[in-house]
Amino acid sequence: MEQECWTLELEGMPHFDQAMERVYAWYENEIIDRPPIRFQAHNAILTQATEDISGLSPEKKKEWWFNVELQVDLFARYVEGRRFQGETFPVYSPNLGPDVYAAFYGTELEFGEITSWSKPLVKDWDDIEKIQFDRGNEYFRALEKLTELALERCKGKFMVGYTDLHPGLDCVAAWRGPEQMCIDMMDDPDKLMQLAELSVADFHMIFDHFDTMLKAENQLSVSWLGVPSFQKMHIPSEDVSTLISPEFYRKFGLPLLKEEVKNITHHVYHIDGKGVARHLDDILSVPEVNAVQWVQGMGDDYPIMQWVPFIKELQARETPVIVDLATEDLEAFTSVMDPKGLFLWTAPESEAEELEILKAISKWT
Amino acid sequence: MNSSNEKLFQAILTGDKDQAVQETQVALENGVSADSILNESLIRGMEEVGQLYENGEYFVPEMLISARAMKAALDVLRPLLVESDVKPMGKVVVGTVKGDLHDIGKNLVAMMVEGAGFEIIDLGSDVSPEEFVEAIKESGADLVGLSALLTTTTPMMEKTIQAIQEAGLRDRVNIIIGGAPITPEFAEKIGADGYAPDASRAASLVKKMVSS
Repeated sequence: MEQECWTLELEGMPHFDQAMERVYAWYENEIIDRPPIRFQAHNAILTQATEDISGLSPEKKKEWWFNVELQVDLFARYVEGRRFQGETFPVYSPNLGPDVYAAFYGTELEFGEITSWSKPLVKDWDDIEKIQFDRGNEYFRALEKLTELALERCKGKFMVGYTDLHPGLDCVAAWRGPEQMCIDMMDDPDKLMQLAELSVADFHMIFDHFDTMLKAENQLSVSWLGVPSFQKMHIPSEDVSTLISPEFYRKFGLPLLKEEVKNITHHVYHIDGKGVARHLDDILSVPEVNAVQWVQGMGDDYPIMQWVPFIKELQARETPVIVDLATEDLEAFTSVMDPKGLFLWTAPESEAEELEILKAISKWT
Repeated sequence: MNSSNEKLFQAILTGDKDQAVQETQVALENGVSADSILNESLIRGMEEVGQLYENGEYFVPEMLISARAMKAALDVLRPLLVESDVKPMGKVVVGTVKGDLHDIGKNLVAMMVEGAGFEIIDLGSDVSPEEFVEAIKESGADLVGLSALLTTTTPMMEKTIQAIQEAGLRDRVNIIIGGAPITPEFAEKIGADGYAPDASRAASLVKKMVSS
């Protein structure tokens, strides 16, 4: 690696340096010895370092999410004694749900067991004036405290990342409500654009705030995706774009994406299902998007084999791609795919099985 | 189709609410029956919207404004439909199951099913099995639509179906389910009567089930 890099001593991941080399090769659409592989399914962390809070009242649920000591302790207990094979980086990423970026501006969150929901803040256009980033906001402060405590406790055990930040269209949908945002696209596109511009206005300042906290403690730039960078790494995503046409994506989404990707080195775009994939040409027209994470979705969109042509298309475009697949599909998948540009995610049931898979994919050419 | 109905049909397709209301009034002034307006323009218009959505020519914004135009026209027609004793094609209870606050999919289904001529009893999101049971009893619904977006809340669909069964209402209602994690196999496994992958196909399924 030519760029500045450093090592992290992690009890459960003594091969951190080699793993990072594989990740950096992947960013460049290259392979060193084998493609990187993470032994954890998409969103698995949401149900691993947690506890059953289904019986709690809404107020108590929020207290649980805001309990800094407990949240960090749950993760520390989760990593204790565990070995992280392949490119399964043990990353603690403070989490208050996907709409937390919108909540920095005053949107209220309601907390469930594994995620949170936002209540629309901009009910009429006069409410745009309410949209102000507030550094003293309870959600922002909670994330700072989670990060601070995790940084204190992480040494030698785990990495600390930043939270799931959704500026752009997802933020607009949280402020307005997704249905109303869709209607605004038809009825009042200029006002919507005004709101949309606010959704990215402070993004880099917010990103840099947490990045500075992490880098001051020798951490990398990493988030829930668990793909670290020694520079800055961000996961652009506009999940709500599944609702709209390519024409509307170009009009409302793409300008925000172009703003979002400025001044950050590594971007792995989170393509959440076929509805978002319809905007692939536009997403990949942004040169800063280095790679994508393909989430084939659930229900009829599962399993992975039906998406082989799509993944091959990404490879043909020389776009590195994260592929999440069931362990039982691994053999069939690798038998029809070239490994170049692929970062596999799978969740076998035992470490022995992980080691078997590592051995098998080392021979995959 | 006469020209008023045709203009109203077009207003539904383009989602022009004001035009839809105006054309409804013009059609009524021209002596077109409320029943004919409902069937020839509104229901047919929403069927076409559903087809355009399935073909990938319309997306959610277009569908939403068409549904809004349909509702505005229906508001004009409703008193006349009641007066002339035109009954809805059936009653449908919809809701997102307990623990799940996502409602856009459920809302789209409600709009499309209403656009197909049904009365909708929308229970909202985070709806408990008991609330579904109560709504079926109160409304005498023909069909129940359960929605869930999260894999973690799909088990609540099965619990809701069980509650309907335990309340002795299962033979009275058809139950359909939908949402991102749902498959036809899952629907069958938990004892639902059907599954639809999107709002347009949910409306077609409801029509088929209630009319059979």
